[in-house]
Amino acid sequence: MTRREFLKLSISGMASFTLSGMFGSRLEAGEARAKREFMGVLVDTTRCIGCRSCELACAEAHGLPIPNIDDASVFSSPRNMDPSHWTVVQRYKTEKGEIFVKRQCMHCNQPACVAACLVRAMKKREEGPVTWDENCMGCRYCMVSCPFDVPKFEYDKAFGRIMKCNMCYERLRIGKIPACVEACPSEALLFGRRRDLLHEAKRRIYGSTGRYFPHVYGETDVGGTGYLYLSAVPFERIGFRTDLGTKAYPEYTTGFLYSVPIVLILWPAFLTGIHHLTKEKKRKEVER
Amino acid sequence: MMEIGERAGRGYLLPSFGRLVVFLLYCAGLVLVFLKELKPKGKVFTPFNVITLPVILTGIFLVLRHLFEGLSAGSNVSQEFPWGVFIGFNVMVGVPFAGGAYVLAFVVYILNSEKYHPIIRPTILNGFLAYVFYASAIFLDLGRKWNMLNPFLGREFGVSSVLFLVAWHFLLYMIAQLIEFSPVVAEWLGLRRLRKVLASMTLGACVFGIALSTLHQAGLGALFMMAKGKIHPLWYTEFIPVLFFISSIFAGLSVVIVEGSISKRVFRDRMNDEYLNSYEEIVLGLGRAAAVSLFVYFFLKVLIFIHGQGWTYLEGGMGLWFLFEVLGLVLLPCIMFYEGVKRRSVNVIRTAAVITMLGIIVNRLNYSMIAYKWYVPLSARYVPTWQEVVITLTIIFVQLWIFRFVVNRMPVYGEVPEWAREEKRESVFAELGFTLAEGGERYAKR
Amino acid sequence: MEGFTYVDIFATKGIEYILVIFFLMLFLLFASLTFRSKGGTKAVGRELRSGLSLWFRVPEFLYYHQGHTWVLPEGEKIAKVGVDDFAQRLVGKVDGLELPKRGSEILQGEKALRLKVEGKEIEMLAPLDGEVVDINEEVLRNPSRMLEDPYGDGWLLRVYSPNLRANLRNLITGHLARRWIEMVRDNLLSRMDYRLGLVLQDGGIPVEGMARGLDRERWDELVREFFLTKE
Repeated sequence: MTRREFLKLSISGMASFTLSGMFGSRLEAGEARAKREFMGVLVDTTRCIGCRSCELACAEAHGLPIPNIDDASVFSSPRNMDPSHWTVVQRYKTEKGEIFVKRQCMHCNQPACVAACLVRAMKKREEGPVTWDENCMGCRYCMVSCPFDVPKFEYDKAFGRIMKCNMCYERLRIGKIPACVEACPSEALLFGRRRDLLHEAKRRIYGSTGRYFPHVYGETDVGGTGYLYLSAVPFERIGFRTDLGTKAYPEYTTGFLYSVPIVLILWPAFLTGIHHLTKEKKRKEVER
Repeated sequence: MMEIGERAGRGYLLPSFGRLVVFLLYCAGLVLVFLKELKPKGKVFTPFNVITLPVILTGIFLVLRHLFEGLSAGSNVSQEFPWGVFIGFNVMVGVPFAGGAYVLAFVVYILNSEKYHPIIRPTILNGFLAYVFYASAIFLDLGRKWNMLNPFLGREFGVSSVLFLVAWHFLLYMIAQLIEFSPVVAEWLGLRRLRKVLASMTLGACVFGIALSTLHQAGLGALFMMAKGKIHPLWYTEFIPVLFFISSIFAGLSVVIVEGSISKRVFRDRMNDEYLNSYEEIVLGLGRAAAVSLFVYFFLKVLIFIHGQGWTYLEGGMGLWFLFEVLGLVLLPCIMFYEGVKRRSVNVIRTAAVITMLGIIVNRLNYSMIAYKWYVPLSARYVPTWQEVVITLTIIFVQLWIFRFVVNRMPVYGEVPEWAREEKRESVFAELGFTLAEGGERYAKR
Repeated sequence: MEGFTYVDIFATKGIEYILVIFFLMLFLLFASLTFRSKGGTKAVGRELRSGLSLWFRVPEFLYYHQGHTWVLPEGEKIAKVGVDDFAQRLVGKVDGLELPKRGSEILQGEKALRLKVEGKEIEMLAPLDGEVVDINEEVLRNPSRMLEDPYGDGWLLRVYSPNLRANLRNLITGHLARRWIEMVRDNLLSRMDYRLGLVLQDGGIPVEGMARGLDRERWDELVREFFLTKE
């Protein structure tokens, strides 16, 4: 290979690399997307018994520290997800007794973290999961953006990672269902196509009057989420934010993002125009 | 280098070892020249040095620790508050403070105003340094620093991200500012031809730089658009980007005013008469612009307050805090600027500028820390550790040291070498079709 | 879009940004071409010279001596000296120049320069006091430069003047300079004969070396009168 050919090759290689960075993920997935629908999980909090089997299964599936699930004292103080707990079960005391709520990433249809990521380390997979990649810079903008405060960062490590539930994406790809769903002994968790889960959720609500609060959390909240919740009590009583609205979070930035190309086209033209007008004026002054 | 190489090549009897020696001597010479430049000019034990040096040394130690031990080393950033002072203060406050560079570039290069010409160089230098150091603050804050170049190299391009735009605009704007400032460096080094080339790029760099500034000043605000629900409704509005952009105008102007009055004392011997004589008029002009932009900003705030039905959130501490910010740190300095201009009092204008800067600090900290997750109880809130404060100060102090280094050597405040003046007149003549127009006009004002 | 499949609402952003970069590069080219074609240096210069209202250019920022030399202060005590536009037009093509030597002293209002035109020598007055520190070799070699650009490349001396400020006070500048040159022009007009008048009516300008147009024989006397060096 001559030097020239080599150069040519490497330049075109670089160009295609760069371009594929910009469009690649869409082009290759373009056809498959049309067929594939989001998968999701329906969490029926009225069925959850607080056994924390899901926590154990999650830790095993992702190589996290194994929790001691026999220790019920963890419920006494409020507990949240952290880098070594991708999912936690919380206990709420309500007028309808103790309610257990499993928490993890909600896997939004239009995730704020994905829109926020400047290197596309966060990805919304067409199967539904929101996953994290190693090319992350650790800027933690996803943590600022996420309406549910899900992504957690390993601050204490020199090589920290963003840690969060990935809906067992690696298991989905080989045809398995998420570890937590598999481990649930009380059928509080149901894995399936999001479309079907919604049907099922509504069937449960309308099928048994009074058992459920008539709202499927995640159906429309923040534009829809992959994890859907059923509850016996209003959702704000079991720690859900109900003030987030139904607009998908990335849409809050569209006003700015869509105006960027417009500004970059109009401003330079406008400024150049002003510059030449004032220069003209200045010249006239000098001439006079 | 070429010259040495040729000379060495001609003496082909010289063995490669000899060439190496020549090369090393050459390098040593370069280092010596540089070291000579590094030698401080003036006294070493000034109050400024005595205060800043220990801070900087401690800071460097802390930064190293930070690099090797991860983000939690001596830092209070948490899962609840992922952004600490480096982003929340250094970047969020530093960038609007550096806004003077684009505002003045607009006035001097786009509006062709001669009046503000004497202060354009220090302002652009300041802006450039500010960006370099805030970029380093971002670097410090990254949890996975070795991946820092990913958004620029295309691993991968997150085009949907506001931060992606801000990062690219930062980079491009730094380049634009470097081009705007580079003629000064060329003058310092006496590189005539290079200066001519660089100076011819100034207008393009300015036009581009202003467009970029508009977008990333607004972009810093747009970063918080997806923090809806986390920022107190008195501050969260869909107009955050607009507010950030407008406030960067008077923030930048105020910094220029304050910086000027400090520099006037510190670098007096570096300033020529042209600078000193025009100083007061310039400050008055800047004060006027700051007054008007604050006035506009205040009404924007009121409009947005009404639009968001802000009165329903006014009770409680956050409401008072909001009123304090808007009335005490926006309306008050606006009135003070107006009074200062009317009475032609540089002192009043200077005080107003300091208050305005305070207002910007409070405003940006509100978005990043105070009104951010206002519902979290005080015990769980983010409060910077002393290490974080020291590192923050280190970043600012090192920036000031470099500013001083450059000002003491390069023709930043006036003192343009004669040949550069001449060339400038020529180029202006070429552009206007008229002789000496620019230089002459300035002289005429004296 | 009903929330069962992924829709990238930013799908076209990448292409848009590339388009913007492309636009900016193209715009740079486009704008520079558009704006350049209009007012090039040469064209403007010629326009200036041919305009009737612009008979004699008098930049307002310069300081003029009534003997038609100018001063441009370059620093506290340094100034450039040259000959004004009127002088150029009056005399016409200059064949040679005699400037004071570097290091010599000149005095405001005293003779300092000597122009050689058609074998005649015409002296001009120094506009300020001081020591000559530099002379424009370029113009010495090629005196026509003086005519092309009297206020720029056509400068003659650089003078170190200890009492520059006091000197400047005796000179005319700004609006006054324009008023003064108008008076000079009227003075000139009143002496013009019909031949020159005709030239002016059809929009022409006082040709270079107007003095000769006025009085073929004793034009140098006339010039000395305007330059205040008539004996």
